[in-house]
Amino acid sequence: MTEYDAKQAAHLHPIIHSHVPSEPALRVKALETLLVEKGMLDSAAVDAWVEVYSEEIGPRTGAGVVARAWCDDAFRQRLLADGASAVAELGITGWALGNLKVVENTATVHNLVVCTLCSCYPHGLLGIQPSWYKLEAYRSRAVRDPRGILAEFHETIPDNVRIDVWDSTAELRYLVLPQKPEGSETMSEESLAALVTRNSMIGTQRHLSVGIGEVSRGRNS
Amino acid sequence: MDGIHDVGGKLGFGSVKTTDEDPPFASPWDGRMLGVARAMSRPSDWNSDKFRHTRELEDPVLHLTRPYFDQWYKAYACMLVGSDLVTLDELASGKSSGASPIGLKPPMSAEAVSKIKHLSPSFERPYEGKIRFNMGDRARARMISPTGHCRLPAYVRGHVGKITAYHGAHVLADVSAHNHTCAEPLYTVCFKLGDLFPEREGSVDQVHLDLWESHLDAAE
Repeated sequence: MTEYDAKQAAHLHPIIHSHVPSEPALRVKALETLLVEKGMLDSAAVDAWVEVYSEEIGPRTGAGVVARAWCDDAFRQRLLADGASAVAELGITGWALGNLKVVENTATVHNLVVCTLCSCYPHGLLGIQPSWYKLEAYRSRAVRDPRGILAEFHETIPDNVRIDVWDSTAELRYLVLPQKPEGSETMSEESLAALVTRNSMIGTQRHLSVGIGEVSRGRNS
Repeated sequence: MDGIHDVGGKLGFGSVKTTDEDPPFASPWDGRMLGVARAMSRPSDWNSDKFRHTRELEDPVLHLTRPYFDQWYKAYACMLVGSDLVTLDELASGKSSGASPIGLKPPMSAEAVSKIKHLSPSFERPYEGKIRFNMGDRARARMISPTGHCRLPAYVRGHVGKITAYHGAHVLADVSAHNHTCAEPLYTVCFKLGDLFPEREGSVDQVHLDLWESHLDAAE
């Protein structure tokens, strides 16, 4: 076996592009079939990964962590100090959670997460990235015009609130701990979790409200 | 490298097509590609930094226009061909024309997925070297432009920020992408938006980046 030199990709990319089927669905199918034939892949494991990220791991996982932090201040403090250990207490471990950093919104600070170089994301808590998180319009402007980005998500951030943008340039992965919505004082942890949206944990939504923003509880999407 | 992937601060990409919820996979093949990538037998020298650099080297027009998981396909196709595990003709036909590669572990089973999905590897490594920066120190992002992988984005190069956190020594992505391994102190560096972009002068907003020691010089 040859050690792979990533610089080869500069000449391999155009050759591969001109050789393989033009439809992504066909080329991925050909790749899966080939690797199975080569003894390098078990399609049942592919099925299992698809199921994990379609049904099991998604924003509901992160929402549970947020609700716990709202209800248990000692947990909240551990979560902010060492995110990976704190979520592991809840039995949550997995893809991109080994170096987790949780950043907290307050009355005077709003946090926004981006990856300007690729699309790094806390998959084990939020699942697969939203479409826009992977695209250049968001990735380019989040660090330059965060207030403009938030306006596109229908959020106006007051002048006295500072925006802290977190660009995931290394292997730390960021989760925003949103503020607990007003009027939720008597709600159970489970009901609180249902108020937490995906975008609020990325930082493209600041205001959560009781009764609005509730997302479907079936599929973990 | 100064490639198309490094988009921080660039203008002209238009407004964000916002969504509140997304299906995890836009089409079934997206999910298959993720599953193939997670489940296939892989050589021990592969890592996420090599994958990222391979993806960065895709044709800029394709990089900006092809679906995300199609870019994964392209990157893994390059890595498979570059490691001599498959040939171009095999990728095109989907049929194996030679022997199975030797020296690879057997493929992951569906049962194994239920354990592997819980793995959270940390990128922190033991380190006994010197640590150059303290909390609150000012540091200037180096004005470097390497031809290989580089996790120091162009929009902060040459600018001064403040060290706000130390994370221990982490695997240095810039060399890990190129068949070397070393760990270096990793810091969070906070830059004022007004120092990076002229139209943000006076803004209270700031951006934090996780940068390695070799990305930084001491600043006054």
